[in-house]
Amino acid sequence: MKISSMHKKIAVLGATALAALAFTTTPTVAHAAPLCDGKVPVNSCVGATSDGAPFSMMVPANFNGTVYLYSHGYRYNVDIPAAIPLIGGYKVTNTPQPGPNATVIGYLLGKGYAVMGSGFARQGWNADSGVATDVELINTFKTQFTKTTNVIAWGESLGGFITQGLAEKLGTQISAAAPLCMATSTVEAELKMAGDFLWGLKTLFDPSIKGGNYSAGAAGYGEAMTDLGKVFTVMGKLQAGIGKELATSVPTWPDTTPAPVAAALGKIPARSALLMLGLMAGIPTQSAHFDGTTGPGSVNTSSYTGFSILGSPALAILENGTNAAALAVLATLDVEQQSGGAIFDNTKTDYAAQLGSDASTFNAALSGSQATAGMLAVLGASPRATGNPTAMAKMRTLLQWTGKVAVPTVTMVGVADPITPAGGSTYLANKYADQYAAQIKANLKAHVARGPSNLISIYNLPATHYTTFDAAGSPVTSTAAANGTNHCNFTTKQYTTVADLLAYASIKGKNLSGGALLTAVRKMGGSTADPKFLAVLPKYYSQN
Amino acid sequence: MLASRRTKGGIFAAATIAVAALVASALPAQAETGVTSSTIKLGITVPLTGAAAPGYNKIPGAMKAYFDYVNANGGVYGRKIQLVVKDDGYSPATTLSVTNDLILKDKVFALVGTLGTANNEATTRLVNSHSVPRLFVNTGFSGFADMKKYPTTFPLFPSYATEAKVMGKYLADNFAGKKVALIYQDDDFGLDAIKGFTTAGTNFVAKIPYSAFSQVDPTTAPKWVTALVAAQADTVIMFGVTSATAALAGAIYKAGLLGKIQMILGSVGSDGTTLKGLLGPLAPALAGTISASFLPSASDATDEYITLFKSINAQYNAGQVFDNNILTGMNTAMMTVQALRAAGTTPTRAKLIKAIETKGSTWASASLSPILFSATSHVGYTGYWFGKLGADGNAVSADGPGKYTLYSTDSGSGPVVKAAAARPAMPAKGLPTN
Repeated sequence: MKISSMHKKIAVLGATALAALAFTTTPTVAHAAPLCDGKVPVNSCVGATSDGAPFSMMVPANFNGTVYLYSHGYRYNVDIPAAIPLIGGYKVTNTPQPGPNATVIGYLLGKGYAVMGSGFARQGWNADSGVATDVELINTFKTQFTKTTNVIAWGESLGGFITQGLAEKLGTQISAAAPLCMATSTVEAELKMAGDFLWGLKTLFDPSIKGGNYSAGAAGYGEAMTDLGKVFTVMGKLQAGIGKELATSVPTWPDTTPAPVAAALGKIPARSALLMLGLMAGIPTQSAHFDGTTGPGSVNTSSYTGFSILGSPALAILENGTNAAALAVLATLDVEQQSGGAIFDNTKTDYAAQLGSDASTFNAALSGSQATAGMLAVLGASPRATGNPTAMAKMRTLLQWTGKVAVPTVTMVGVADPITPAGGSTYLANKYADQYAAQIKANLKAHVARGPSNLISIYNLPATHYTTFDAAGSPVTSTAAANGTNHCNFTTKQYTTVADLLAYASIKGKNLSGGALLTAVRKMGGSTADPKFLAVLPKYYSQN
Repeated sequence: MLASRRTKGGIFAAATIAVAALVASALPAQAETGVTSSTIKLGITVPLTGAAAPGYNKIPGAMKAYFDYVNANGGVYGRKIQLVVKDDGYSPATTLSVTNDLILKDKVFALVGTLGTANNEATTRLVNSHSVPRLFVNTGFSGFADMKKYPTTFPLFPSYATEAKVMGKYLADNFAGKKVALIYQDDDFGLDAIKGFTTAGTNFVAKIPYSAFSQVDPTTAPKWVTALVAAQADTVIMFGVTSATAALAGAIYKAGLLGKIQMILGSVGSDGTTLKGLLGPLAPALAGTISASFLPSASDATDEYITLFKSINAQYNAGQVFDNNILTGMNTAMMTVQALRAAGTTPTRAKLIKAIETKGSTWASASLSPILFSATSHVGYTGYWFGKLGADGNAVSADGPGKYTLYSTDSGSGPVVKAAAARPAMPAKGLPTN
């Protein structure tokens, strides 16, 4: 099975979360009041909050009183050297971002809504300061635009986390909220998936990857950048190896594989080992271009079966895992700097338990039960990462969201999001289900109608088949990412439907429900709001 | 556009949504998902394509044929049964995706006859979260009888552990002193069999695992034969899918070992008609092969179920070659109709599950084994008979037509009991009236 050069195409790391949209000039000092250009039809304002976060406000001439407050996602808090593949050349920016993209912002302005958002005072994991910035921003906006009646909060990725944190803090001071592709409830939970995967890469494929516990200051930055380069290199080697394995059935491990690992597992395809790392970490087995189900040519050929069942899940892990591992390096560096030491600890992690029923579901791609047991045995005997207790305790003081849902809320996430697992949204849904059940019970006791659910959980589902192949039978990786895959990969229709749902909730004081909701979600395409649909919870929640 | 539009159309849309919501909330309790006044919608996932498809791809057609027969005779309390068939290529990832479609888009009332151990494992969380009944799964993994883990799932076939235990007894009775080897699919399917053989105390000169789908690699089966020869095996038990059995038989034949290595097949990969098709000119490789079965021989002209199902197959299934897969499909469909009837005139998913638990053990079935469904057991059949593949590919009982010696046991440590098979009579015209 020939696999063409995918490497350049497989890792568009957190594209949405990282997108730095320059809508306005960025002020550098705090202003008591926004500076507005007073233009018609849109009055654009800029300013900075007391902590120095630059912000942007856009208010249409026919402002209807409702403003959408957008919180952007995780941006790296360090520059990335140009020599690093895929993400090299990134510069830290705090450019304000008042909406997901220009099209959606235009859509909202056209309907009379105002939009606003900041670039936050610091980048990296900034949930605590992010919520504070947003609170100040709301007050500033209301002071400046006294016609304001409703504030709708929404955000993506870490911005989704901040949105939920803001909603929990302010309660009914905001009228509706939409944490989109939200980061899981704690930074520790969020980083576990990526951390487990990075540790696995180091253990099985390249022990020279440091993987955390970086030195302070510039030395630590250098170590992390070195790690980034190694991660991309070993993923490239794995990609080449998988192609060879599918073509020849000869196991092909990276040349950086530790000798004891090669001796123990060398007869097993490296694709099986990579897949197992992904599964035990909780990385989706569907990615932007690999559906885990489709092969080249006729369905009844051995090449189709070999690729679709044995190869595609591993390639999906490769595509998704590259993003996850890069995040692990950069976010670990960031949070370690904030916490004062190593924050990843897997000394008590039971990877066999984390693999769970996936060992059965992906048995064939894992090369059978004996191979799986062998790989788990190697992992079980490998040295673990030990966190710094003081640093971990400090990390745990960072903002967490609890799952309290006091205002109409809409979540949306791709089922195969490789950075913020869909299960994070399901975790919120589970938390809210308990609240809703208690509310119904109390209402029944008081002979009051049960009341509508405050939470709509939208999941974007990848199609069963979407991998395509060229005439030579090589998978095509230059097409747009499939629905439900990649990080915060939403269409304009999906964004605007959520915006409309929020507007409805803001006006009515409750979520849209029943057939109207089903119709709205159906028209988004490839989505479900079935309250019984549950994504797989991140491994953090099954281990803690 | 949901609300807040300042245009005329926008206001209209918002008002429409509000009214729709009001109407929805005023409706009486909603009918059960997948059930209307005139239809009951069921779903099945099965490999229609790919390496595991041969033979098993005939099952949904057989089920549809039996449902069509029942529909033509009044349906289930006037409701016609619809079966939505999804091809999963035996890939668990595909099974999960198409089951999402069955539950979320097609909105089936229940799943029935879903095939494959790993495939059913893959969808368990989804099935459980929606409380979708999963009837008579086409797998013998004993784990599916765990009512806590799989509360809506009902295995019908005897477990692989049961099959291995009775096979161990059969070997002890008939192949004492032979050098027996085992080839098995290295997943829960094969490991369940290992568990049963271990309980039975069966000793093997070689145990050869293979990863599912590795049988499609033409170099795989010759390696099995090399291992058999190295172990000096004169008997080999195959616990794999039909395509794996065919690969083994072909490799034995090509190696000139026909008659020197006795093949004994687990029920999963033993359909002779399918094997003959896969082997083509190598079909003589099947001569003398022994297989286990819990249903009567598909060629048993004295069996009233076989006679009925053959006539339904001729009329409603375009005269497909009648074999174990057709028999399995129709038997599963007949059990399903009885379950739906037992759920009553206003069926719900909860009623359906309750009905199987309370009444399922009494239903008519082609199987020669009793059914053990109860409020505390989701175990279906428990026994097998053994026969040699005949000229038409179907196994033939050594006891003669209509007579079968059944080996029965459980999935645990219970004894294997050997007795003449018996079962309830078939309902008139094969139309359940329970």
